[in-house]
Amino acid sequence: MDIDVKRLKEIVGEEDVRDDIADLYVYGSDASVHEANPSVVVRPETVEEVQGIVRYANTALVPVIARGAGSSASGQAVPIDGGIVIDFKRMNRIKAIRPRDILCKVEPGVVCDDLNRALQPHGLWFPSAPESGRIATIGGTIANNGSGVRAIKYGTMRDYVLGMKVVLANGDLVTLGADTRAQASGYQLDRLMVGSEGTLGLIVEATLLLRHLPRFKAMGMAKFSKLEDAGETISDIVASEVTPSLLELVDDIAITALNKTLNMNLPQVEAIVVFECDGRLKDAVDYDMATIKEICEKNSAFGVEMGSDAKEMERIYSGRKKLFAALSRYREGLVCTSLADDMAVPSSRIAECARKIHEIGERNHVVMNAYGHCGIGLLHTKILMEVTRKEQWEDARRAVDEVYDYVRSVGGTTSGEHGIAISKAPAWKKEKADSLQMMKAIKTALDPNNILNPHKLMDAPDDWVTATKLRYPVQL
Amino acid sequence: MEFKRLEKWGSELNLCIRCGYCCEHCPLYRASNWEIDTPRGRLLLAYGLLTGEVDPSPYVAEKLFECFYCGNCSKSCSAKVTPTDIFTDARADLLEFGFAGQGTTVRNDEKLCMACGRCVLTCKSEALSVDMGSMRVLVDKVKCKGCGVCVAECPVGAMSQKTGFGVSREELSAAVENSLRTMNGSPKVVVFCCNWSMTPGLQLSRMEFKGAENASGIIVTVCSGRIDPGLILEAFDQGAWGVMIACCPLDECEHDGNYRAKERCALVGRLLDVLGVQSERLKLEHFATGEAQKLKNALKSFAGEIASLGPI
Repeated sequence: MDIDVKRLKEIVGEEDVRDDIADLYVYGSDASVHEANPSVVVRPETVEEVQGIVRYANTALVPVIARGAGSSASGQAVPIDGGIVIDFKRMNRIKAIRPRDILCKVEPGVVCDDLNRALQPHGLWFPSAPESGRIATIGGTIANNGSGVRAIKYGTMRDYVLGMKVVLANGDLVTLGADTRAQASGYQLDRLMVGSEGTLGLIVEATLLLRHLPRFKAMGMAKFSKLEDAGETISDIVASEVTPSLLELVDDIAITALNKTLNMNLPQVEAIVVFECDGRLKDAVDYDMATIKEICEKNSAFGVEMGSDAKEMERIYSGRKKLFAALSRYREGLVCTSLADDMAVPSSRIAECARKIHEIGERNHVVMNAYGHCGIGLLHTKILMEVTRKEQWEDARRAVDEVYDYVRSVGGTTSGEHGIAISKAPAWKKEKADSLQMMKAIKTALDPNNILNPHKLMDAPDDWVTATKLRYPVQL
Repeated sequence: MEFKRLEKWGSELNLCIRCGYCCEHCPLYRASNWEIDTPRGRLLLAYGLLTGEVDPSPYVAEKLFECFYCGNCSKSCSAKVTPTDIFTDARADLLEFGFAGQGTTVRNDEKLCMACGRCVLTCKSEALSVDMGSMRVLVDKVKCKGCGVCVAECPVGAMSQKTGFGVSREELSAAVENSLRTMNGSPKVVVFCCNWSMTPGLQLSRMEFKGAENASGIIVTVCSGRIDPGLILEAFDQGAWGVMIACCPLDECEHDGNYRAKERCALVGRLLDVLGVQSERLKLEHFATGEAQKLKNALKSFAGEIASLGPI
């Protein structure tokens, strides 16, 4: 691809442009199975620099791919057609914290956990940080409508974006939304950007709603000898009057992986449900915890542990945070791949869905597990497989198709929080069949030259396996 | 090209899910914010070398020779991949093909070196030796872990490390000066922290507005063994009321840098006494990785003690 690197250097400075093959190679992947090198990487520090890059790209008809931490799980940050990767990590300033307005203004490269560290002295927090918040950036989290474990009580990213500044495909800067919670003025264009995966515009500043840090928290863990019982428990809790601040399922495969890699010493049962309640009054938190305990026990849970000690809570929860990678050690020869990884189903279907996932994995000679933020109906299902064996990719393709056929049949959705990009696009296109034209029309209106993260979402290839080179050494 | 040593890591490199959880722990990444400077990025380079998608080059070698071996990436990886072991084998293979990167390995200035051998004795990695024929100090680039203990130990300044990561002698000096110049309020306390991951405050973001917390008193050295007595004295000379050295628990330092720090602290303490300055203005404390709260508490209490002593 013919790119005027000299021009880009004039815009952002010599030091912040890289086109050595080694740099391009490391910017060619994220946490997905996909790989494709960009043509050049730039690191702007100002809005004007971003505008300059996009204006150039729009004239030269060169793809532009926004990148935060590169922790995306479906290929969002993979430049499928090459082009310019904009690494937003230099735009990492927390520009304002306004406690009296309960909001903050941040640049897209601010890391979610850093924001929470900065908010903590003000008694505030941003609850929508994903589990990868130690590295994930605000820009990436907005672009994928991330949510994280506390979404059951606090909502997802779209509930926290009050407004944003966006550089459009022609280089224009627009201000969307406002600094207020109440907004009833025409199209909610800021919301349109949430979850758009860098295909409609580049977020260069976000105004985020904040919450007060809860004064009291307690966490619990219930063990189940049947996965169905754990699933029923989750459905019952969601349907009850209690709103926990966290409600997670961990299945037997995940338990094995955690015990193996982190020596967690968890009981080898079919499922564990982890829950947390928080609030301003200790009595209220305790009351909610007791209610959840009752629901667990009614569904045959045993050994329900509860605690409000910070260390104890950390112990209960630490494994869950590291689960994605730990699954790579589940069984010798199998590798954890981020496939079919975050579907959501109606809460009443959690148990059924978890069991289906196990069955589909088994039928297709791969291992699939079920864990995740089940309180919002979200299940994470990695596929563990022999990645260097060609036949396994056929198996994985079938397994992914079957899982999503089931998810659609019960009114679920393809992605709960990780986004679509490449590897979930075929299933998602089936789910959104009657609204794809509408989305394409929006894309064409905002990005007529198709420069912004092209060939993702509705424009992604129909076969995810061959959409890009796979990151593993396998000949298909 | 056959990467004989790297070859055995092929399946381990597949296990890395590229989640990037290792990144925030890497002092090199913190210094540059480029993807290639993350442990994940360097693992990708090793992977690219194996698959042939990346050719060995002086640039690739330079990147793979950059690592302080703090081991935080390995500790944080729940897929149990050990990046530092992989980098070591990549270095050995690259050297065999004639690509000797400088990276974070130490250099010896033959013009200044007296071949006294003090550096050899302090190197826990056994990366240094004296060639008795030429009376030169030789650096084994595969074994050198870039801790900088020898740099601080050398009496004539013959050992050095590349700048750019904030931990060379020049950069540490500049950091002391900058920290004291920009520090808000009093008491003025300089903290040398051996591992940035346990420092409080922001890791990969910036706060630039009025009222933002000023944590500039904390200077990250990656290993406490690279703090030489001169650097501590410089801090006092430039107006510090107190200096704290935060290092790993005694048996937990990969490089024995904390033992060196302890010896040097004792030496500077005696010097301060001679100069009529209270030696309690210099304090050495031990913290295990992740003990950010303990560090915060220790800092608060030290600042209180120093405030009661006032400026020098």
